Amino acid sequence: MKKLIILICATVLVVLSACGDSDGNGDSGSDEAGGEGIDTIVLSDAGWDSNRVHNSIAQTIIEEGYGYDTDVTAGTTAATFQGLIEGDINVYMEAWTDNIKEIYTEAIEAGDIEEVSVNFDDNNQGLYVPTYVIEGDEERGIEPMAPDLQTVEDLKDYPEVFEDPEDPGRGRVVNAPSGWAVQEAIDAKFDIYGLDATMNNFMPGSDAAIVADLTDAYNAGEAWVGYYWSPTAVTATMDLTLLEEPEYDEAEWEETKATEFPPNDVTVAVHKDLPEQAPDVVEFLSNYETSSDLTEQALTYMDENDATPEEAANWWMNEHEDIWTSWVPEDVAETVKEAL
Amino acid sequence: MGNFPDIRTNLGDYADQIVSFLDSSLEGFFDFIFFISSRTIGGIADFLTLMPWWLFIIFIILVGWYFKSIFSGILYGLFVFLIGTFGLWEDMMTTIAIIVTAVLICLLIGIPSGIWMAFSKPVSNILRPILDAMQTMPSFVYLIPAIFFFGLGNVSAIFATLIYAVPPVIRLTELAIRGVDKDVIESAESFGSSKLQTLRKIQLPQALPTIMAGVNQTTMMALAMVVIASMVGASGLGEQVLVSINRIDIALGFEAGISIVFLAVIIDRVTNGIADKFQKHRR
Repeated sequence: MKKLIILICATVLVVLSACGDSDGNGDSGSDEAGGEGIDTIVLSDAGWDSNRVHNSIAQTIIEEGYGYDTDVTAGTTAATFQGLIEGDINVYMEAWTDNIKEIYTEAIEAGDIEEVSVNFDDNNQGLYVPTYVIEGDEERGIEPMAPDLQTVEDLKDYPEVFEDPEDPGRGRVVNAPSGWAVQEAIDAKFDIYGLDATMNNFMPGSDAAIVADLTDAYNAGEAWVGYYWSPTAVTATMDLTLLEEPEYDEAEWEETKATEFPPNDVTVAVHKDLPEQAPDVVEFLSNYETSSDLTEQALTYMDENDATPEEAANWWMNEHEDIWTSWVPEDVAETVKEAL
Repeated sequence: MGNFPDIRTNLGDYADQIVSFLDSSLEGFFDFIFFISSRTIGGIADFLTLMPWWLFIIFIILVGWYFKSIFSGILYGLFVFLIGTFGLWEDMMTTIAIIVTAVLICLLIGIPSGIWMAFSKPVSNILRPILDAMQTMPSFVYLIPAIFFFGLGNVSAIFATLIYAVPPVIRLTELAIRGVDKDVIESAESFGSSKLQTLRKIQLPQALPTIMAGVNQTTMMALAMVVIASMVGASGLGEQVLVSINRIDIALGFEAGISIVFLAVIIDRVTNGIADKFQKHRR
């Protein structure tokens, strides 16, 4: 009996000390994050593939070229961005600043985060329709449903093409995910273009819901109109047409939103302490610059080859060596190249 | 070294194929369900929003008074009034319409299934693990096929809510009917009652309090789904919570969240009260 008790006590002690040890490690890790030096650089994965590809490219360079460990924390945009502000996340490779405008500018003004580079700003967003809606698709035997549809304003003439199943007789335009900043812009466009008269302004709730609804319509060859943006796997793999709007004009945009969307800066942002903790990495990140097209190439590769974001990143780095090597000093570029 | 051998089962692909198959072959059936559900939600929502606000509050007070106490009635009225002051009156009505529709469909499916399970051991054995799976599968997994069947909006939300919320009423109906005293049934049968008569006159009334507990649970679970359902385009209070999550808007999140809590309290107490009334009638 006594032996048993001793054995149990010993086991408990071992387990407890093991726990204590891992806790201790965790603490020292975060202590370091607060002060000088850092071992592990944490990137955020806000949930979409291009973000993962850019993470993977940066991770390869940071790990192989600069010798830091990296880690990725996944979550929603809001949650991961909050993590960046708090310092639980060090690097945000793809901050779609317009969608989180308020908290983004607040965080910059408060000095919680630093914007180090614009990853790309040549992206598109707005209301898309599958191209076959306008032009038809002979291969699939789809007749053009709205051959004269060109602009967002034209939509009001096509309620029966984009019929709302829950409200027959009126059309349905799928808006941006609830709570995104663009949602309000699209609300305003509804008013100013007079879409209200014939179309319903539908709140889809989430990005995933938009994709599922669009995919369903696309596979069935049905009409669909709604908000999306590029570069994404969706716009890279489906043949979609962005409906036109008057050219972007800042004053007009501020007043009525009745223009194209302003170019949305997709930035690389870091937690405020990172420039001190890892100046070399921040130096590299401040040179990080791609484009929508470059990003979509990786997404198309992923889709066509059923590849993971890591594989796509690898492929991309081999394909575009001249681009990423220009972001880092020569010796770093050499070590990364060897590791690829 | 320790790698798992290169064997691949494509269970997910089969699920994908089944969904595509159902989507194309049962289109008419889904359209019919879509039509019925969307009209029901629309009708209830229209009725509720057309009703003057004070009439609705008086109605809530009376319901609370009748099933619980005058104090509870006034408290519930106050809750509803508060939700209105948050600017969420119409969202509340939409949410109520979705929940009422979902619960109605749950009862239509759940009570007969529960009775069937109570009478047939094999059916019970087959359905039980399925019910478990329905409740444990992460909700978003079946929200996506729901969009394929019903498109974006309230009907998909109802479908998702249904899968999550129907098991309790099925289980408790089965349990309740099985639990009815054997002697009572035997004596009824010895007096020449048919199976259906026994069910209607003896078993169901005896089982009602337990079935009501199932209805209560089902309703609460439907309410718990409103935020998740809003991710496929359901409107109402859940959508407001979702907006606040996307914007990190603590104020809106709290107001919409507490409104859902208020609704939950009212629905929970009232359905409990109904169950108590049945209990008293029996004695």
